[in-house]
Formats: sequence, structure tokens, C-alpha cells
Amino acid sequence: MTIGLAFAVTLVAAGPSIVVTGQLLAYQDGFVFFTTGDGFRIAPGIVIHDAKTGGSTKLAPAPRLWARATFDANGSVTELDLSRAALPPEGNFDDVTHFAVAASSPAPNPDLLAYANLATPVPGGGAPTTVSYSGKPVLVTFIVQVPPTTPLTASVYISTDQSGWNAQAIPMDRVDALHYSITRRYPSGTIFNYLYDRGSLQSEEIAQNGLSRPPRKFVVPDADVRTVSDTVSAWQDQVPGSINQQQPQIMPTPYNPAPFPNLPPGLPPPEPPQSHKPPQAR
Amino acid sequence: MLLLILASAAARAQSTPVTLLYLNAKSINFYYDRFLLEADGNVRLRTSDGFTVTGDAFSMDLKANRFLVAGHVTLHDRSGTVSGAAISDFLDFKRIYFVPVTREPDRWTFLNGDLAHPAMGRVMPGDAFFFPPITTQPDMTGTGAVVGTKTYVRFIGAVAYVAGVGIPLGSNVISFSSNQYLAQNSLSGATADITWQVAGSPNALTALHLRYDPTYKLYGSVEQHFVGDHEYAILSVNPATRAEKWWNAMLYEKLGSRFQIQSFTQYYAQQNYLQLPRAAQQTTWLNATYAFPHSYVTATSQLVNYNLLGPGSLEVPKPLGGNLSHPAFLQLTANSFQNKIANLPLFESIYESYGFAHDSVGGSQYLNGFPGYWPGNNAFAPIPVPGLQSYGALCTVQPSKIYKYYCPTYTTIYNTVLGFNLFTPSLKLNQPDSPYQQYYFNASLNKQRQWNSLPHYIDNTNVTLTVSRQFNRALHTYAGYEIQNIGDHYINGGYEQCTQPHGQPTTFCPDSFTSFRGVATLRTASFGLNDTPTPDFNLSVLVRHHQDYPIPVPGLFAFPQNNILGQPLYSWWLGQPPYDATADIRFKILPHTLADISRTLYWYGNPYRAQYWQQNFVIQLLPI
Repeated sequence: MTIGLAFAVTLVAAGPSIVVTGQLLAYQDGFVFFTTGDGFRIAPGIVIHDAKTGGSTKLAPAPRLWARATFDANGSVTELDLSRAALPPEGNFDDVTHFAVAASSPAPNPDLLAYANLATPVPGGGAPTTVSYSGKPVLVTFIVQVPPTTPLTASVYISTDQSGWNAQAIPMDRVDALHYSITRRYPSGTIFNYLYDRGSLQSEEIAQNGLSRPPRKFVVPDADVRTVSDTVSAWQDQVPGSINQQQPQIMPTPYNPAPFPNLPPGLPPPEPPQSHKPPQAR
Repeated sequence: MLLLILASAAARAQSTPVTLLYLNAKSINFYYDRFLLEADGNVRLRTSDGFTVTGDAFSMDLKANRFLVAGHVTLHDRSGTVSGAAISDFLDFKRIYFVPVTREPDRWTFLNGDLAHPAMGRVMPGDAFFFPPITTQPDMTGTGAVVGTKTYVRFIGAVAYVAGVGIPLGSNVISFSSNQYLAQNSLSGATADITWQVAGSPNALTALHLRYDPTYKLYGSVEQHFVGDHEYAILSVNPATRAEKWWNAMLYEKLGSRFQIQSFTQYYAQQNYLQLPRAAQQTTWLNATYAFPHSYVTATSQLVNYNLLGPGSLEVPKPLGGNLSHPAFLQLTANSFQNKIANLPLFESIYESYGFAHDSVGGSQYLNGFPGYWPGNNAFAPIPVPGLQSYGALCTVQPSKIYKYYCPTYTTIYNTVLGFNLFTPSLKLNQPDSPYQQYYFNASLNKQRQWNSLPHYIDNTNVTLTVSRQFNRALHTYAGYEIQNIGDHYINGGYEQCTQPHGQPTTFCPDSFTSFRGVATLRTASFGLNDTPTPDFNLSVLVRHHQDYPIPVPGLFAFPQNNILGQPLYSWWLGQPPYDATADIRFKILPHTLADISRTLYWYGNPYRAQYWQQNFVIQLLPI
């Protein structure tokens, strides 16, 4: 998030005084601090007003409040007009930055480039890049190819850490026998860990080698639209011999080698030919 | 023992470093949609990194893993106390940005947790002291919170707000870990479930559930999760407030990059509170998978103890009641990866499997006693098969004049399975100018044969063909045709046809069953449509026509139960109504919530004309 969003500042030239608006960070020890981290000296007899009415206010300067600050020619703040709601931008903060009080001289920060790098992990965990994100809404379309054994009536979902790995968080729409898709709007910079499933964690996707797979990762880029294409190798409950393979019976029963779970009760069971001799007495 | 090993491994295996933050303030607010934690008034924050901060306001973006304390800040550690205007900790980068106020303000940066040697005057990130804009009401409030960075936040004095109404919870944990194992659960499906996560840590979570389902009605359940980076142990009792209790243990461990083992054990106890059970049974599934470079092998086993209490202990004491024999099942399966066939647009995978099933008593005799009696008229009931399957000639001694009994009874059956999948990717059928005029074709084939040592084999063949087209950005359509063939072929004998008295079909012997000899064919034509004009709205319709043999008859076939999504538990069954139509509509009802409503109509057509709706509307609320 850039400082411009948090601290919109513009210059209003009005004689010797300068007016800027911003959000307060602290008000203490004879200084007022804005969320830029800059501290400015408070003039003796500073006036505190309500930003909306211009009259007196019960608000006292405190963190989170918005303020319209008036600076005198010496760089001291002579008036603060307070508001709980964000104020429309006024003034240019660059014009008052040189009034900020700091005991030490500014020193370059070698971290800053590195910080920008680290803040933007690459999908798949590769080397960081220098991309930065504006947070603008991006239409993201996920298209997934599912295994050919997926029933035509199956529902496919995306579960993500954004929604606590809820197995039914993002329902997808069938496109054809092998593909599902969904389009959602996300702010750029959103980091996704996600997996596909068929509505439960027991029917989650697994890796091609039959093992449980780590979540997929995706960072929403600064683009208008983006398409993500994935392939699911297999569903956990459909792998032959899987622990989660659904059984015809609801409750645990001995293995039933008969292939028809719901034959009508009146139908005789499989029988040998009548000519078969009884091998043993009962 | 395995559980203990897993639990301790889970605790050790947490590789991501977690900092604990202990936060107290007059008010603490949590905003679920952005994972923001905001606090005001007498803020006191103690960290496991070894320092304490006090101030007027606190703000933390839990996903970005950074916090800010502002206003009359004191920073205290073992080297002393410094006052300031604000402090911001970027935990992932081991950088703490501090605005101290001694005689006048300054800017200090603490590097790598070293609070004794600040880098003075360093330029700071522009947003180091940024308060996020808050425009919504909090979803949860509290008087204290413990944050395990990147994993969870536990609220003390928590009040959750649902539609503006506060619900006091006391302690409540919200997990936002990227570890998907924390979401694993061992509870069966329920119609409704309200979860209260009472306690948690980076690798554990304790949850109480208030649930409702048609069988047990309203009840409470308890679930405990232990997770690591490569393992989990999930323990639960469900329902916990009914005499019929299911104790569950779900364990998983991945050892190295090629091997994983998992198990699921259910212990059923008929017991009041924690008193001595009146009945107890146990089922354990065990599964191990080893991956090779182009294939993998899976071993699956199921062990059942229908009576853990010993002989004569069942509620209906009968001679077989309490028999300690128990069924077991073991299957070893090898699966290949999907491989492209030459340069053809065709992929294949094969699998083969060996296994056996053993049961020396017979499933339906474990709890019911032996022999059975029809309730009410005290008539003699058919004797259940004392094993897996009876198949042979008539037994020389027939215990009943009404029913026929066959010998021998197979108590162990071995099987061999061979199967393959063949499928195409999406193939273009034409070359139009517009992508919205493009037709795609898909085909897949699954074929499997299972040979059993009881002399019969079971064939399954499934062919699916679809053609699809996207008409515009919003509208997708597809038409599909599926043929499923299931044949249970006995080498000698087999399925007997039923006979119709006087040549007229009866309820239990409709026309198609006079020729049914163990081979069923199900043909399904489908048409599907999905319309998504905006990301917040979707309409989908699926209409299907089944042309099945044996011909479905209303009321004749047992129907599978539905899962929690309102879908049948298995995807095909004999007796599907010949027609069904499902409509599903999804739309936004709250800024961060979608409603999803679906319902299905089934109808039989001629000659039965019976029709019915899916029992209920299936309604789901989904987060955006």
C-alpha cells in the first residue's frame, strides 16, 4: 500500500501558512505525528477544531483520527481540525516534510529494494521479483482439467487458505467432460494457496504419484484479467485401492464382492447350476 | 503408540518460525474479510521475541504478518525502556521500525531482533506506520488476544457478531494457517454444524461442534487436531452427547518424498456418558502409498471388530453373539501415471490390483444374533450367510422348508483386478473465425475386470463422450453421452431370473428382470448449461435421460443416501429414474457471501409416470 493511499496530502497555498490533511499516528511530548512517521512541533496555544464544523470538538488528537493541520512559517503546527472519517485530500505533504523533526540525519536504507523483492513471492517459490502491486481488482479465471474418471454430475470446488480451507468455498462450473472454470475478482497482490476438491477433504486432489500434494500457489498480478490453468491428476477418493473410496454401504461392512448394491429384495441370489453336486453337508 | 509418535512429530515438525503475541487492550476488534486485528485503549503487547510494547492503538494485518503500535509508546526489553510515538514490526523481514521521542523525535530501525543497536536515521518503508482503512463492523471483539503469527489468533472474552447480534464465546480461535491439514476433519456429514474453536496453537486446534442431522437430531461433538508440516492426527467423538458414540482417529504421516501412510479408525460405543459400553465395535482402514518415478503402489486394509466386548455381551445374546472372528480386507494396487500414446491425442493409465477378503461369520450376524426371527409373528427368518458368500449346490441339510440354503460358504475370497483408462484432451471439431463458435470433443474410456476366487468375474466398462461450446464469455454448454456396463459373470450358474406368475409382471419381478442374468447397462444422455454473466451470479442447469437395463421401477430399488452436498453417495445405481433435471443458482447476498441453491426433479415417464423432487432444497452459504 503506498503512502499516497494512507496519507493523501495536497498543498493549499494560503499566505505563509500551509495546510495538509493526513491521519494521526500520535500526539505527545510537544509533537504531532502523522502516519508517514514524521513528527512536527506543536506551536504553543495550538487550536483544535472539528474538521467538519470548524467549531469546538470533544475529540482529542489520537492515533487513527484524521486531521487537517495548519503549519506556520516555522514549521510548527498551529491548528488541527479533527475528524473520525477520512478527510478529503488537501495540500502536498512534500512541502512540509522538511519541517519534520528528527534527531539523526537521514541514512539510506539498503533493505528497501530487498524488501520490495521479498514482499512479492513468485508462484511456485522461485526467486523473488521486483513486482509491486496496486491492489486493483483483477478478474481471475481458474480453469482446471479434471481426471477422466470424474462423474458428469460431480461438483468441483477450490479450497484456499483465504477461506480456512473450506472444501466448498469456491464452487466451479462445468465446461465440458474434462474442464471446470470459475471467475472471481481479487485485489492484485492477493496470495493464494489453493487445492481443488469435489466438495470434501476426502475427495481432494492428489499428486500424480498418489501422494497428498502440497497446495498450489498463485499471486494475483496487476492485470485486468488473468487466467490460471491447472490439471488435477487424480481425486483422493477415486484412486483404485484408496482409503477414501466410497463403498456402496454406508456403514462399515465386510467386503462385499457382489457388484450390484441395490438389487431388489425379491430377486434370487446368484446360484450354481442345479446339476451341481453338493460338496458337503451343512 | 502411532498416535503419540505422530503428535510429537507434529509438534517438532513445525518448521515455520512462529512468534507469539500476547495482546491486551480496552477493545480488540477483528475483521474477518481482511484478517485485520485492531485494538485501542491501554494497549499492552508482549512478544515471544523478548520485548513488551505499550501504547494507545494497535493494528495488525495477520496475512501480511506485521503490526503497529502507536501513541505514547513504550518499548521495554531486558536492556531497558524507551519511549516513542510508534513502533512497527515487519515480522517476516526481522525489521522493527521505531519512532522514539527522547528530547526530540528520531527514526530507529532494529535489525534482526537486536534492540540494543538501532540503525539510526534509516529511511523507512513509506507504509511502515499505515493504519488500514476500516469501513465495516467488526466480526469479533475481545479483551485479549494471543496471535500465533501466520497461523491463528485466539480471543479472550470473545464476542462473535452474526447479523449484528453479539454471541459471547469466551475463548475463540480463528485459524488462518496455510497448512491445509488444520482443516481435515473426522466428523460425518451433518445437516447443520456450528463450530466453536475453543483453543488453538500453531499446530493444534480444539473445536466444539453443535450439529444437527436427521438420525441423531441436535447434538454436540468434540474434535481435536494436531498438525505438522507433513503429518496430522485428528481425534473426535461424534455425537458426544448421545448414547451412540463414534470415536474417530484419523492419522496421516508423510515420510520422505515418496511414502505416506494414513489410517482412519472408528470405534462405536453404545454408552451413556463414559460408562461401560453396552456394545462396542471398531473399524480401521489403513492405507500406505509408495511413489515410483512413473507409477505408485497402494496397500489398503480394512479390519473390523463387530464386538469388542467379548462373547455373550451383546444386547441380544445369541450363540453367535460375541463371536470374536472379524472380517478383514487387504488390497494391493499398482497405478501408472497418465501417459501420452505416441503422438496421438490420447492418454492412458493402467492399474492392477491383488487382494483378499475374509469373514468367517457373516456381516449381518454380528449384532443381530443367530438365528433370526421376524419381529411380530415370531416366524423363522432366513439365516444370514455365515461368511462372505454361499455359492454351490443345495446344502444336504436344509434348516428351513421355506428358504433354500447353498453350500459351501466362502469365508475367504481372493481377487485380481486389471483396468485401464483411455481419454482424449479437448479436441477442436471445427476451425471457426470466432472462438465462441468453436466446438470441442472429449472422450474417455474406463475398462476393468475383477477375477474372484469364488468363480466369477466382474466387468466394468464406462464410456463418456461430450461435445461442448462456449457461446459467449458467460455461457457454456455441453452435451454428453455415457454408457456404463456392469457384468457379473459366473462361470457356472449365476443370477437366476425371476418368474412371473401367470406371465404377468409383478412388483418384484418386472419385465426386464425375467431376462436379467447379472449384466446391467446404463446409458445416460446429458445436456448442461452454465451462465455466469458476472462473477457474483451463476445459473447452471443439467438435464439427463437414462435408458437403463434393468428397467427402473418406482419403489423397487433401494436408493443411495445423499452426501452433504445433496448428491447420491455413489454415482450410479440400478433403478435411476429415467429423467432428472437439476437447477442450481448462485448469487451474492452479502459483500462476502454467496448463496447457492439447487434442487432436482426426477421423473419416470411411461409407463410409470411417477415423479418426485429431491427431498429438500440444498442451500449453501459460500464465502467470496
